[in-house]
Amino acid sequence: MFLRIHLAIVVCFALAACVTTGGSPGAASNIAPGERPEITTDEAGLWMASEDVERQLVSSGRVITDPALNTYVKQIICRLSPEYCEDIRVYIVRTPHFNASMHPNGFMQVWTGLMLRAENEAQLAYVLGHELGHYLRRHGVQQWRTVRGTASAMTFFRMAAAAAGAGYVGDIGYLVAMGALFSYSREFEREADDVGFDMMASAGYEPREATRIWQLLLAEKESSDEPDQFIFFATHPSKEERIDTLETRAKTIPAALSGSDTGTETHRAAIQSYLSEWLRDDLRNRRFAPSEVMLNRMIAARSHVPEFHFYLGELYRLRGDDGDAERAISSYLTALEMTDPPSDVHRSLGLVHWRNGRHAEARTAFENYLRAVPQADDKAMIESYLDQL
Amino acid sequence: MNTVRHILERILRRPIAHPARELLAAALAAIALSGCVPNEALRSSSPLPERVNPSVVLLIKPDVQLSVMTASGLEEPNAEWTAAGQANVERALGQLMRERNASLIPYVEPQGDPDKLGRHNQLMKMHQAVGSTILVHKYNQALALPTKTERFDWTLGPGARQLRQESGADYALFVYLRDSYASAGRVAVVFVGALFGAAIPGGIQVGFASLVDLRNGEVVWFNRLVSGTGDLRTPEPARQAVDSLLTDLPL
Repeated sequence: MFLRIHLAIVVCFALAACVTTGGSPGAASNIAPGERPEITTDEAGLWMASEDVERQLVSSGRVITDPALNTYVKQIICRLSPEYCEDIRVYIVRTPHFNASMHPNGFMQVWTGLMLRAENEAQLAYVLGHELGHYLRRHGVQQWRTVRGTASAMTFFRMAAAAAGAGYVGDIGYLVAMGALFSYSREFEREADDVGFDMMASAGYEPREATRIWQLLLAEKESSDEPDQFIFFATHPSKEERIDTLETRAKTIPAALSGSDTGTETHRAAIQSYLSEWLRDDLRNRRFAPSEVMLNRMIAARSHVPEFHFYLGELYRLRGDDGDAERAISSYLTALEMTDPPSDVHRSLGLVHWRNGRHAEARTAFENYLRAVPQADDKAMIESYLDQL
Repeated sequence: MNTVRHILERILRRPIAHPARELLAAALAAIALSGCVPNEALRSSSPLPERVNPSVVLLIKPDVQLSVMTASGLEEPNAEWTAAGQANVERALGQLMRERNASLIPYVEPQGDPDKLGRHNQLMKMHQAVGSTILVHKYNQALALPTKTERFDWTLGPGARQLRQESGADYALFVYLRDSYASAGRVAVVFVGALFGAAIPGGIQVGFASLVDLRNGEVVWFNRLVSGTGDLRTPEPARQAVDSLLTDLPL
């Protein structure tokens, strides 16, 4: 028994030493423009690991290399933060989820699900500013130090608890430590929110758009009972809290600073040629409730864009709930009344009619499809449908 | 692979760009911890063709990473050690090949030709996938594939010929090494653990190497290394690790 207690004391001493060397969040200084970490530091190790991830990403086939789209995103970063413009490498990654991420070595991923959902340049600028905040506040290395310190402390604490014969105390220590990990990470997110907000407001973007993007994501999230569908939210402060904070902050922006530039037309023009691809990607998630909210929001803003109606129709066709066939047909017909509807509308319309036993309508729709795309890849398939009808 | 990515993302609560890599690391860790693995190198059933001239071997940049093992067992990559380890491993590989009937030419990334670079990168990724599959399914009896029990016939496919045409090499050698060293805190944990009779690992060296025939993409030879000792940061032990990894290399 004596040995046990004695060892517990020794281990607790080790624990204390470890905690004090663990590094404390918020204490790090901003990274300077052009700064590279010393090769002997833990930060250099993280940069090295990040470079590896970056190399893998570049050859993943998911990065959109289109110079125009890349220039559009890069110029927002340079407008937000001219002094760090050179240090940041942006990759637009074709992934249908709302997210952007920042690695400690200055490589940033912007996912197409975010590009698609942002209504304007100001909203995108706020999220990019948030990511820049992670970079210049060195959150990557700070978070790593917290994880390392907490995990080590946990190990020592559990050994100490085991030595003292008190297993359940160890478990309480574990829970406390895990709680610390998540709250530190939320602390970083709040800090990044602040940096992002300040950057966008100083760069002359309309600051109220920062609130707006959270509101529209909240509406999507609330439409579904599926937990954690947005990775971005997993460790972030709650959206309600963010919206409150941002609304309060927007009111404090001096009128002289508050720009009215939302960059709505610029953003629409920049992503126009990707609309179909990204909307199709989004439906592949088969998370119909948030997608329906998103598409209805897009239609409310721009009811004349045929793609929005077509993909809303596709959503109903794929979901197949009661009444969805009629909703799909109605959306397709709306799309067809507009200028330049996607030719695929005819094919989808034909499929829904056929499934519902309306052979004459199906035939007309398939014939219209082949007339619109005489050399379609699936011409033989459509012809075989026509033979069966 | 997308499904795997989503599952990992849910577990780790962060975006994952490279599920294959994360799985590879996990597989190596699992293999290092399970002791039940064959020790010998593996080779394809067909013997290598006799060569009059020395073989030319294209050395794909060895994927080396050295880390500190912190008290809890988390590994922290160390840039300085990695640079030293990388250089030591490349030097040791060069020496070893000179002593064998082979000459080593280092792979150089094509400059100003993104298409070619892209194809090369796909081959490297193919090797990552094939190599980790061999590691998982050939060195772990519990995961042996029924169709592969008596055979060793893995290939990167005919796309590998491109490297032969461009470099003139007969074979490509791929090397993957991970080495970790206990921090002071980890040493304390190992020590205290030992007092209680618990064997807690303090730093480990793991890796694998494969030789690919560039005429057809076949993996003709494969070996893996798991060691509780060794040090890639200094030249002599690095040479020992390379010798041990390439034991039985059929060149």
